[in-house]
Amino acid sequence: MTVTLDAIRDCLEGATPAVMATCDLDGVPNVAYLSQVHYIDPGHVALSFQFFNKTRENVLANPQATLLVIDPNTGATYRIAVRYLRTETEGPLFEHMKARLAGIASHTGMAGVFRLRGSDVYRVLEIERIPGATLPAAPRRNRLAALRTCARRLAACTDLAGLFNETLECLAQAFDVRHAMLLMFDRAGGRLYTVASLGYERSGVGSETALGAGVIGVAAREGTPIRISHMTSDYAYARAIRHGVAQQGLAGMLETEIPLPGLAQPHSQLAVPVADGQQLYGVLCVESGEDLRFTYDDEDALVTLAAQLAVAIRPLQAAADADDEPAADESARAPAAGAPVVVRHYAADGSTFVDNDYLIKGVAGSILWALVQDHVASGRVGFTNRELRLDPRIRLPDVTDNLEARLVLLQRRLVERESCVRIEKTGRGRFRLCVSRPLVLEAAR
Amino acid sequence: MQGGVSITAAARDDALRTTLARARGCRVAPDRRRVVILMSPSQCAALLSNLRANGAIAVVFSRPSTHRTLQLKGDDAVVEPVRPDDLAIALRHHEALALDLANIGFGEAFAATLERCELDDLVAVAFTPRAAFSQTPGPRAGNPLKAGE
Repeated sequence: MTVTLDAIRDCLEGATPAVMATCDLDGVPNVAYLSQVHYIDPGHVALSFQFFNKTRENVLANPQATLLVIDPNTGATYRIAVRYLRTETEGPLFEHMKARLAGIASHTGMAGVFRLRGSDVYRVLEIERIPGATLPAAPRRNRLAALRTCARRLAACTDLAGLFNETLECLAQAFDVRHAMLLMFDRAGGRLYTVASLGYERSGVGSETALGAGVIGVAAREGTPIRISHMTSDYAYARAIRHGVAQQGLAGMLETEIPLPGLAQPHSQLAVPVADGQQLYGVLCVESGEDLRFTYDDEDALVTLAAQLAVAIRPLQAAADADDEPAADESARAPAAGAPVVVRHYAADGSTFVDNDYLIKGVAGSILWALVQDHVASGRVGFTNRELRLDPRIRLPDVTDNLEARLVLLQRRLVERESCVRIEKTGRGRFRLCVSRPLVLEAAR
Repeated sequence: MQGGVSITAAARDDALRTTLARARGCRVAPDRRRVVILMSPSQCAALLSNLRANGAIAVVFSRPSTHRTLQLKGDDAVVEPVRPDDLAIALRHHEALALDLANIGFGEAFAATLERCELDDLVAVAFTPRAAFSQTPGPRAGNPLKAGE
């Protein structure tokens, strides 16, 4: 039976080291251990180029090489004849391998020594199963069946908030994922903001991370899944920087930072862009405290789930704006009672505080500010997405901006902070502002 | 070289295409000039035929738990029948490697499977090392080994 590379990807997870034979033009063979053999597709692999060594010299002169790989579960061994094609030094493949290598380097005590110079791409010519005894393969979770269930559940969602929740519940129930977060992309700000999370002490809803920072930021910037199978400090920029600043006694300056959710010491991480064609909506990220928790199969499943998620987001986002009727006047509701609460808004970055308690900044902060202004001026409580989109006070970055996602974020932050202000959805594209105490507004500079 | 290491040998054909396979054990000749590795012909027919044709060989010895790695190269490899004590050498090699693999978390069954062999599936490959290289991962990998290292 012909063996195809996609069927033996477990051999390429890095649990068992791969070995490579090359030969120089004088006919002297060479054997080397490889840090990383990366699966590209059934016809191609990429090897990490870290040092100018004999292997490198040989393949540039004579592109024919052979790999020996072992299945870490069964012990089955395969010989793979390959031919060197090219080296990539930037782009999705390079970034994915660089992130994986960072995990491998710190796992093997080589952090600071292993640095990816390039991704050497090879064509797979032939795969030979080497005869020998093997262990029976353990039964494994069927990700295709899990994916089918999840696709059906996501397609059934009728609003964005429900879709976010359903996505995380699907990961937990169908894929046994314990820690996950979903971030949406703010194109104008070049940042991602957390709208939902699973399994963390604090939800981190409203926290932000920059494009290009950590596994999430790199996945978003490069439009590629990023998967790390061992703990590494290289891809924990956000937390590392915060920790450093906090140690310097500057913690007070960070009061408008909501900490990103995330394990303190993730051993396995997988971040997948949520994109529909060229349009990036956000990033879905899963984590685990175990090494080697997420495999190539998990990566395939999550990439497909994220594609389903993107397809589901688009119509829900459009539908959220569809209602054309003006909001009904609901100002005759029960008046707010109790001691007044100060809502302070900084126009510079939209950061908004309720009774000196930081709530949110950016577009979501400006939305809240516009809502409470109207409420205090006229007692108004009913609003629509459509009018917010046109409201000059909010300055939405562009027409494709995911306003509904920002409302979900704002709604969740208000609940988490147990604020006296709440937002309740009342129908498609409309919602109600619920204020339980009198508000005093302070515009700050 | 003779205990707790994983051994992999490579050869090449006339078109400079390589092949490689795991070895089952190693012994050093009493005069310490020749190295003999044990191979399973059922797993490396092409490698043995290349060695018979041109004698060019590279062999890497690596301890899984430390990644400490050594490479020997030769150009006079010959394929010989095994000696009566070679199966015992292969078994000792297997036990020592299994122990090292167990130390880094691989189960006994895995190591046992990986290195299982039979006397009727063993040949000896003898060669004179012409060069030795440290291959321990890092920037110095591939450097020629100097005396005392």
